[in-house]
Amino acid sequence: MSYYRGICNFCGTGCGHLLQVEGNRVRGVYPLPGHPLSRGRLCVRGWHIHELLQTEERITSPLIREGNSFRPVSFDEAVDFTASRLKTFSGREVAFLGSPRASNEENYLFGKFARAVMKSNNLSLTSDAGLEESSRVLLEGCGLPAMTGSLSALRQADFILVVGGDLTKQNPIIASEIHFARRSGTFVATISPRKTQMARLSQKHLRPNPGTIWLLLEALARALRTEGLVRGDDLEERVENARQYLEYLDSLDLKQASESTGVEEQEIISLARKFYESESAFAFYPVGIQSLDRRSMSALLNLFLLAGKLDRPAGGMCPVTGISNLLGSLDMGVSPAFLPGYFPVEAEESWRRFEELWQVGLNRTPGKSAAACLQEDRSIKALLVVDHDEEIIRHVNRIKELEFVVYFGAYQNAFASLATVIFPRLNYVEGDGTYTNSERRVQLSQKKVEPPAGIKPMWEILSRLASALGQPWPYKSAEEIMTEISRVVPQYSGLSHEKLRASLGLRWPVDDRHPGGTEFPLAEETGRGFKFVFDGAADRRQSLRSGKEGVFPFKLVVGRSNYFWHQNSVMKRTFIPRREYNALLLLYPNGFVEVSEEDARALGLREKQPVRIVSEAAEIRLATRISPDILPGMLYIPYFIEEMISGFLHRQVSELEKNEEFFLPVRLEKVE
Amino acid sequence: MYWLPRDQVRALVNRLAESYAVYGPRRDEVSGEVVFDRLEELERLDLQAAIPYNPPKHALLPQYEEILKYLYSKQSQKVTIEKISKVEPKALVGLRACDLNGILCLDRFFLGQEFVDEIYLEHRKKLFIISNTCVRPFPQCFCVCTDSGPAAGEGFDLDLTCAGQGYLVLVGSKKGQRLVEELGLREAGSEAQNLREKIVAESVSSFDNFALENKAWVSRATNRLTTGFIKPEVWEYIGNQCFECGACSFVCPTCSCFNVEDVNRVDGPTDRVRTWDSCSFEGYTKMAGDHNPRKPVEDRRNKRFFCKLSYSQSKKYLRPGCVGCGRCARVCPGDIGLPNVVTYIRREITGE
Repeated sequence: MSYYRGICNFCGTGCGHLLQVEGNRVRGVYPLPGHPLSRGRLCVRGWHIHELLQTEERITSPLIREGNSFRPVSFDEAVDFTASRLKTFSGREVAFLGSPRASNEENYLFGKFARAVMKSNNLSLTSDAGLEESSRVLLEGCGLPAMTGSLSALRQADFILVVGGDLTKQNPIIASEIHFARRSGTFVATISPRKTQMARLSQKHLRPNPGTIWLLLEALARALRTEGLVRGDDLEERVENARQYLEYLDSLDLKQASESTGVEEQEIISLARKFYESESAFAFYPVGIQSLDRRSMSALLNLFLLAGKLDRPAGGMCPVTGISNLLGSLDMGVSPAFLPGYFPVEAEESWRRFEELWQVGLNRTPGKSAAACLQEDRSIKALLVVDHDEEIIRHVNRIKELEFVVYFGAYQNAFASLATVIFPRLNYVEGDGTYTNSERRVQLSQKKVEPPAGIKPMWEILSRLASALGQPWPYKSAEEIMTEISRVVPQYSGLSHEKLRASLGLRWPVDDRHPGGTEFPLAEETGRGFKFVFDGAADRRQSLRSGKEGVFPFKLVVGRSNYFWHQNSVMKRTFIPRREYNALLLLYPNGFVEVSEEDARALGLREKQPVRIVSEAAEIRLATRISPDILPGMLYIPYFIEEMISGFLHRQVSELEKNEEFFLPVRLEKVE
Repeated sequence: MYWLPRDQVRALVNRLAESYAVYGPRRDEVSGEVVFDRLEELERLDLQAAIPYNPPKHALLPQYEEILKYLYSKQSQKVTIEKISKVEPKALVGLRACDLNGILCLDRFFLGQEFVDEIYLEHRKKLFIISNTCVRPFPQCFCVCTDSGPAAGEGFDLDLTCAGQGYLVLVGSKKGQRLVEELGLREAGSEAQNLREKIVAESVSSFDNFALENKAWVSRATNRLTTGFIKPEVWEYIGNQCFECGACSFVCPTCSCFNVEDVNRVDGPTDRVRTWDSCSFEGYTKMAGDHNPRKPVEDRRNKRFFCKLSYSQSKKYLRPGCVGCGRCARVCPGDIGLPNVVTYIRREITGE
């Protein structure tokens, strides 16, 4: 036998695949036909994961920095050295950056190491643009911090609303499911300023001006009111703060909203009706790598609550994660906001619970994200990072100033050169581990090849470090860690590797009442309180004006994944995806700005003509790329050229990274 | 024709395993799906299993294959090139007729033209092929529309047709004849030929009842594709639904396009690697100087269907480039597998 069942490790769809293993090497990949979600399909990335898994650009030995180079050391020496240095820092001087590509077991232990051993709550994930925000919104609104819908049932929906991003590029197989649903009669509507492939595959595409997705979603809710479809008294029974929300909603003027968003009032009303009349409805929005903002997520949730679509089967809110185990990493509490199992850090009981479970005193002062620590906290002295897959490293100068940086990584990359100590990591086929996809499906990926000699599993490295720091950890395998997770994380209480081995994944909550997992938690478990999520009487008008329209007439949007994936740091180790993703980079080596056909005509711009983009803070020279996909008045820059980020966007970058609603007011000048 | 009782299949496979790595269909325990795989445990071979999700192409044209190694020596200023040969003899057991026809297409591409592909030739020379008649079609099949099944006509060493408690065995080569004699199989008798024909005819007539997923009336589409009378809007409609994943090429038994890459090492030899490639990728046709004759996705899509169905291509393969296995329809995220494309082309003709 050479084809072994497994799970793709790229995006948060979690497709099933067969890996062809020969002579301890992964030689090929094939889609797994019986998988409940991917049903025998893979995307261009998934079809080439074997190329990544064959790369020789591995880190194969522990390394310790000496001056400007690294010295290979034994595992013992690396552990002793690291432990002796870590001893010298207090909890609040250390920050931890986990990896959404690492398994649940690895993330759980990483978090436990931070909180229980190092007494640090400065713990967060790379590439988590918006998942934590989405989880907070959902937790507040419906008590479930993740997808309320189900991906395997989306073909049964009447109505699907896709908001933001381009699912066909970010999570192609989920987009494919939506496409199949549409082909069998589901009504699919997309809301995004860009004309994406997802939009092309939808029956309806509403194109709000950049920065106004949230307003369009509120306008859809408002239309349900003006059309007399939703009455207040029914609503008060279903949703806690209905009265306050309706007050907030009814202050919205549909005509004005139509003007600000650039979407015709009639279009808003007819889509609202179509949505309301549907038997079941799904909403999809991206989180991770590229994400919707908090305000839009809330508006979307409110829309679903208002129309009473949330507690029905075959429907719900679907945040789509951009990376394989982004959701699982948050489930495991790699977050400044939650302990494992979504116990909030603000609550004293949470800490008591974990002190009891872990049998150790914890630092109860909530921490910050690693990025926030680096940006604003001068007291941070040490940083521990797992698999930094972003090619562009933020706060690089601050990291260089730190006293101690530990990097755990499988592949050589730019971040490794900043480390003091490097521990090699297994790649995902060299050990057992579970991964949780967008729909809460926990899947076991089993070991398929032997790791290069000397590389230890992450649990062994962390256990040795913990022991050296005075807390002997007993773990002997990933399976044992899952046993502990099942005791600690209520949503995972019914899970074990043994159970997962015989399945193609189970959706949490998996517990006594749902031993086979849960497809629609809100429909299956009544009694959760619903609540509208909104920030009270925020001044809508103010947030729509930059006040500088005259000087900076264009809205510049920065995209994170339309022509590339994850800054290509992973893709560059493959052949075909590298070629495909680099095609554009080769055509525009210094980057490009997309201009609409209308604006290009009005300004007399030709393809590839150099232009200057000027914002209040900086300017940059780029080549023009005329695109039929963007709106007049909008400019689009893809986020993949280092120089563009460091030279132009650096001050705005944290905002730009967070979500795709953010835009920068700029003007465009021709270079003569 | 010979007769192979069911309980002697193991003996046949054991015999093959003495000189070949045995490949064949097996079922995955958890997902229940059928994979065409290398079988160390020979009892996993399942001749009754449905058509495998993957074609046998990987046994002749691996998805990733090192083809040579070279090293440049600075001192002597010489390059040494070394052939990497890992080709082992393989027995492909239980090939469906469509997949056998796929191999024959690959043969004509790699061996039947001006340049003979030596690596492919080495794989090919060392093959032993046993085909297996589909006594009943599977849901995705349309080989009757592409003249490639349900029974094999040529290209096998042995051909099996299930008939009651055993298999009718057709011999297609001297190698096959030798094996039949070594196993001491008895002649199947004078009625065997008629019986096989009857079984195949029954299978063909049951397509209406069982092969329900795809309909592909290929001949009219071939005509339209060859004459070029398909409106650009049809291709755009198809192109808009393409996710550019390459799956259709990777799962196609006849797709032969490949990519060549060099894996460089700082101080060591370079490996030259051949991998599967697909015409659906933009980078596939991109030329130096940024020119791309097939830049828009719809141009790349239609290239594939020209290759599968146009008359000029069929002349090269001596048959249509599509063998009717239906795999592209199952793996396509955009639902534009070949049968649907044929439907869209027909719809344009008939105006339905």
